[in-house]
Amino acid sequence: MMSVGLLSCALRALSLGSSQIAGFPVASGVCAAVTGSRGFMTSACDLQNRSLWKQRDKYTVRPIGVKKTGGRDYTGRIITQRIGGGHKQRYRMIDFQRLRYEAGKEQQPIEEKVMEVRYDPCRSADIALVAGGSRKRWIIATEHMEAGDVIRTSGAIGRMAVLAREGDSHPLGALPVGTLVNNLELFPGKGAQYIRAAGTCGVLLRKVNGTAIVQLPSKHQIQVLETCMVTVGRVSNVEHNKRVIGKAGRNRWLGIRPSSGLWQRKGGWAGRKIRPLPPMKSFINLPSAAARS
Amino acid sequence: MLVKMFKATVQRVSTSALKISQNRKSENFHSVLIMIPHGRCCLSTSSCLYGKILPRKKPRVVHEIAGLEPITYADRMHFVPGLAKPKFPPWERGWKEPNHYQSPKLEDMPLYKDKPCYIFNQRTNVLEGVRQALWLSKSVLIKGFPDQILTLAEDPANQIENQDERVQNAIKSSRLWDTTEHRPPRERFCPSLLNGLLHLCGGLQVTHPELAKRILAEKYSLAATWRRGEDVFQVRGQNGWLLNSMTPLPVLAGQEQIQSTADQALETFYPIAPTIDLQNTHVYQEKNDTGFREDYPYPHAHTLFLMEMGNAPKLLPEQLRAKMVMFTFGNALARAQALYGKEPSVLEKPIVVQSVATNGRLFQFVVFQLNTTDLQSDSGVKNLVWVDEDQPLYEFAKVKPLIKKKVVQVPAGLSGYQPDTFKKFLALYLHGAV
Repeated sequence: MMSVGLLSCALRALSLGSSQIAGFPVASGVCAAVTGSRGFMTSACDLQNRSLWKQRDKYTVRPIGVKKTGGRDYTGRIITQRIGGGHKQRYRMIDFQRLRYEAGKEQQPIEEKVMEVRYDPCRSADIALVAGGSRKRWIIATEHMEAGDVIRTSGAIGRMAVLAREGDSHPLGALPVGTLVNNLELFPGKGAQYIRAAGTCGVLLRKVNGTAIVQLPSKHQIQVLETCMVTVGRVSNVEHNKRVIGKAGRNRWLGIRPSSGLWQRKGGWAGRKIRPLPPMKSFINLPSAAARS
Repeated sequence: MLVKMFKATVQRVSTSALKISQNRKSENFHSVLIMIPHGRCCLSTSSCLYGKILPRKKPRVVHEIAGLEPITYADRMHFVPGLAKPKFPPWERGWKEPNHYQSPKLEDMPLYKDKPCYIFNQRTNVLEGVRQALWLSKSVLIKGFPDQILTLAEDPANQIENQDERVQNAIKSSRLWDTTEHRPPRERFCPSLLNGLLHLCGGLQVTHPELAKRILAEKYSLAATWRRGEDVFQVRGQNGWLLNSMTPLPVLAGQEQIQSTADQALETFYPIAPTIDLQNTHVYQEKNDTGFREDYPYPHAHTLFLMEMGNAPKLLPEQLRAKMVMFTFGNALARAQALYGKEPSVLEKPIVVQSVATNGRLFQFVVFQLNTTDLQSDSGVKNLVWVDEDQPLYEFAKVKPLIKKKVVQVPAGLSGYQPDTFKKFLALYLHGAV
């Protein structure tokens, strides 16, 4: 313990300015280190306010100002390299749960009108503002969605497969096999989690007693319940992978920083690998979110 | 002596620094630093070690056992490990402290009602524009002006001397001569332009003595409640300047035209509900108020002037026209309910209210005629709205010319003045006084 005190005293002596009269600062430092110890501070650290902007319960279609993370998590540590700077962006709350009934209109198919299709800085796909009943919400736009379209959302699974139009949303069980789908829910009612990036689509491969098997854009296959909602068609902004960044500075506008530049020998990670697809992943028998909590 | 001491301290410091650098190489440096108490001034190199934050813990769930009281450290008056945290009832200070006022829950408020009300206020930006306003006020749209006002506008006897020159001077004084900057803000030149034009119109009082029976009110507040279908609607709040008069405006459409509106269907816009974008609240007061006392000598609303200033938001022209329709309707309805009571009926004498909105260049004109206060059903007699859209008073008012490729695109000063717009403005002002 004594050595620790001495060390901290020495550090303090170094950190003090050299303008003071020599001799005295060291002595006073020793005094402070030996006698005036303040002990361990038990107070909590300052609350972080980095994620305050997104702590919001009520849905709004108004864009919300975003604080840049710079790749840091809530503790302030870098968790993703090469992020920082870029144009200021605003966040628009996307409603990923297409089958969200308005109060007092449960179990009726929802019809909504597309008011606007626009760019969104927070994702690669375009987004659409839809209005139906007395509410408005943002959703992910599909490929041919235009302002003025009327899109339907229905939670019913009939005996016959529906004739699905692009942009409509149905449970997987209601759709014919081979349909191109996007915005796939893994658990019924949880909201879309898969196939949301620009230009992507999955394929409904087959339906097996109460479940559906979907091929993801990565060619992996997953098995989900047939009541999971899905949107028909391809996600908008198909040309996203064809765009030309053009110069290093444009990546900086997007908030992407250059890689380190350190030369590293190419190892096993480089080059093409041919390996079999992983086995089909099932999201069926997992306990539901309600049962887990 | 001092020099000797100085040399000695320098030596000491340098040796300690050496020790530190040796220590830094050693691997247990971390553990050494962590033992230094918190709050001590440390070098920046160690800050990342202190910044270690443990993952967020879930709060411990403490189960309550019925019939057992947990032993708390309330009487010890300090924390004791192992004893439960005491729970106290919320402290009430016993007096009213405005800085720490906590409003009661919405459900406990005296004005809380089970049936929600949809409120249209001056900040409402309705999605469907005029179509939605027509549905809400149960009215039929007619593009352009009614004939009576058009004849007023075209009558040369109603014009001011040197009308065009004086109007241009009014525009220039609000846009160019008001400031030393390049352009006054819109919040400033909108009201000054409107004031200038109203002042010009008021000069006609010499030839039209009826104009003396007018008064302009700013910041008046309106409240009108009606039922449409099963819902309750309200038009509420401050909205603009209201020109009141002692005499009501003459009725524009005759009985035949009013009766013919019964056949016209109201436009709907499925799948969008007409209540979209209106403020939905359960706490409200069903109030009908023109904003003035009953014995006010100027009870009749004549013209409502709306502009972008103060609390009013910027609206697109379509939404601005919807706002004009709604507030003229609200004024007429409040007046009708003050005159004929709350019983919904077809009015014997329809009530006419006009409205002018401007963004400093474009003018929108709306004339509203309230034929009926029976708004519950979609059938029957409907109200009438005349809308004249997007009339520019001038094209450009610039201090500096706009030059592109060394060619003057827009000259300095006022350009593109359109005299017809002011004629319409003047006709609306003179309506009811000629």
